[in-house]
Amino acid sequence: MEKKSMKGYLYLAPALIIILIFTIYPLIRAFMLSFMEDYNLVNGSYKGINLENYIDIFQDRHFIKALTNTGIYVVFVVPCSIALSLIIAVLLNSHIRFQGVFQTIFFLPYVTSTIAIGIVWGWIFNSDYGLLNQLLSWFGIKSIPWLTSKQYALPSLIIFSIWKSMAFDILIFLAGLQTISEDLYNAARVDSTPRWRVFWRITVPGIGPMISYAFVMGMINAFKVYNEVYALFRGKNGPAGSANTVVFYIYDKFYNQSKYGEASAAAVILFLIVLGLTIIQRTLTGKKE
Amino acid sequence: MSFRKTGAAILALVMAASLPVAAFAEEEKTIEPTEVTFWHGMSNTQEQVLTELTDRFNEENEYGITVKLVNQGNYGDLSTKLTASAVADELPDLAQAYNNWLTAYTDKIVPLDEFVENDFDDYEDLVEGYRAECEQLGFIGALPFNKSTYVYFYNKTMFDELGLEAPKTWEDMLAVGEKFMEEKEMPAFGVDDLAGFLEASLAQNECEYASDEGALFDNEAGLETLEYIMGLYNNGYARLIGEDDYFSSVISTQRIGGYIGSSTGVSYITADDFELGVAPLPTNKKAAANQAGTNIVMFAQDENQQAATWEYMKYLTSTEATTEWAMKTGYLPVRVSAFESDEYQSFMADDITATAAYSQVDAFFPAAMFEASNAVRTSVNTMFEEVVLDELEPEDALAEFVQIINEECDVE
Repeated sequence: MEKKSMKGYLYLAPALIIILIFTIYPLIRAFMLSFMEDYNLVNGSYKGINLENYIDIFQDRHFIKALTNTGIYVVFVVPCSIALSLIIAVLLNSHIRFQGVFQTIFFLPYVTSTIAIGIVWGWIFNSDYGLLNQLLSWFGIKSIPWLTSKQYALPSLIIFSIWKSMAFDILIFLAGLQTISEDLYNAARVDSTPRWRVFWRITVPGIGPMISYAFVMGMINAFKVYNEVYALFRGKNGPAGSANTVVFYIYDKFYNQSKYGEASAAAVILFLIVLGLTIIQRTLTGKKE
Repeated sequence: MSFRKTGAAILALVMAASLPVAAFAEEEKTIEPTEVTFWHGMSNTQEQVLTELTDRFNEENEYGITVKLVNQGNYGDLSTKLTASAVADELPDLAQAYNNWLTAYTDKIVPLDEFVENDFDDYEDLVEGYRAECEQLGFIGALPFNKSTYVYFYNKTMFDELGLEAPKTWEDMLAVGEKFMEEKEMPAFGVDDLAGFLEASLAQNECEYASDEGALFDNEAGLETLEYIMGLYNNGYARLIGEDDYFSSVISTQRIGGYIGSSTGVSYITADDFELGVAPLPTNKKAAANQAGTNIVMFAQDENQQAATWEYMKYLTSTEATTEWAMKTGYLPVRVSAFESDEYQSFMADDITATAAYSQVDAFFPAAMFEASNAVRTSVNTMFEEVVLDELEPEDALAEFVQIINEECDVE
């Protein structure tokens, strides 16, 4: 018995060691750093152990802006992406022609580099030559400075991210839809149940676990948004920092400004938010099941 | 017995032989053959020229020093890797760097004061502004290497068409902007480095920028400067970079009359359908021009390694090497004697960028450096975009800049 469990640990060891070194240790270290005032990364010196870094970032307007932006981003991107993905997944699953082709097309964003997509969307959003403004002009809407004005920078980022995160959601929803027994649909058809009712009573509950999984993963990823900002605004955080996010803030504090303590404090705050929301979500979905 | 005698004889001989050698070493240094590692961020032509110069040094130096060039990517990568290697205590012998990258580990920089004093060819010959930058840490912490300055690039064809001359003063600048707006409905002005532009404009108005004490321009001269800047932007005479990457591409596609950018940026301008003009920065109460580009900083620990690195640093900053470097890359020479050499003068006669850059050489100033200078730079860049997008009045823009700088400096 003892021997057997030893063997198990041995198999787990490589993964555990990697997680310990690259995940757990940095986590603890960031936590410690966040309490060190004026920490110097090179010689390890600091002024004292206190809450100065936390006080500093909460007094920093850039951080508050980054936090609000990230909040708005999560609230829009995650539900919108799931809703749209659900509709598309159901359509894709309904035995249409060229199903395989469409599935591939919708999955493409997932396997394409964010930077490449960002450049393409940069052109779609371009105020002078952009596709989107061209489209809007047909409806008599005046050209919108998507990427160059403070008001539209965050909405642009949200639209871009919804589109991008849909690929993954569609994939798992499609997989889920295929597990729902055809009998249920046949029975509904016999009863001539209206379509929307079939959708709400059979389809949605059938892929419930997938939806909740997509929700959790989507939210965690949305809180960590960085690549999308970098790609869309060419390495910047939007005009006048209007599309700043928490991870962008952390990166900037750490690498550009050498404020290691403040960067760590912001990282800890982000960690706590994600942890808290995940716990809430777990208890909520746990109750349902 | 005889063996011992022979031994003693040999010993005596060795001692006798080593005496004059030791005395000789007092005057002429000896450097053991060694390898010097140089981390740089140069690419394309610049890297090729650096390699050429280095190969020549490796072949020709009398000590058997081999300099190994290591390309660490762009400046951002180089800066990050230097910080990481400082943490691991594995810094290279020599690296390209800006002063404000080094604030976290200034104690690892080898002060060059003694080297300069004992074994350097005419330190005063280095351009004054560059020397000031290299001494910003309180000691000579670097030697200038790939230096440049900001100049005003403009579309000369359009200027001629509108009957305009290159702007010499702030007033000219505003007049040029107005004319462009009226006749072409196009801005005549943009800047790649917003924080640098604010700093230079303040200097042109004889006003200080910032220090550990926070913002130093909350005064009449500061307000005048902001009136000038907001006058350019709020009237549409100037624009932000927006969706473009650099103004070099905006001017190449003839969507702007001119812009302020690094003199090395000229290689990114494609002036196929128009004639490019280059002018020194406009002046107000006095001339002031940002200098840019990195310096070379020594981290070598061991004495022999330091001596070897120093040989290479001397070589790179020598009149010959810096002249060749400047002519082949578009950077500026670091020595006055190089600027004045026949070789460079004849090169400059055909090179409008070098001419404009050289004409303001006495007005060069290094970016202010203080504890929070990096954070101030980031915040001022963001705030600059904000005051322009919000079309603030000069007084309000001034107040915003002062506040954000003071916040970064922890000054109430």
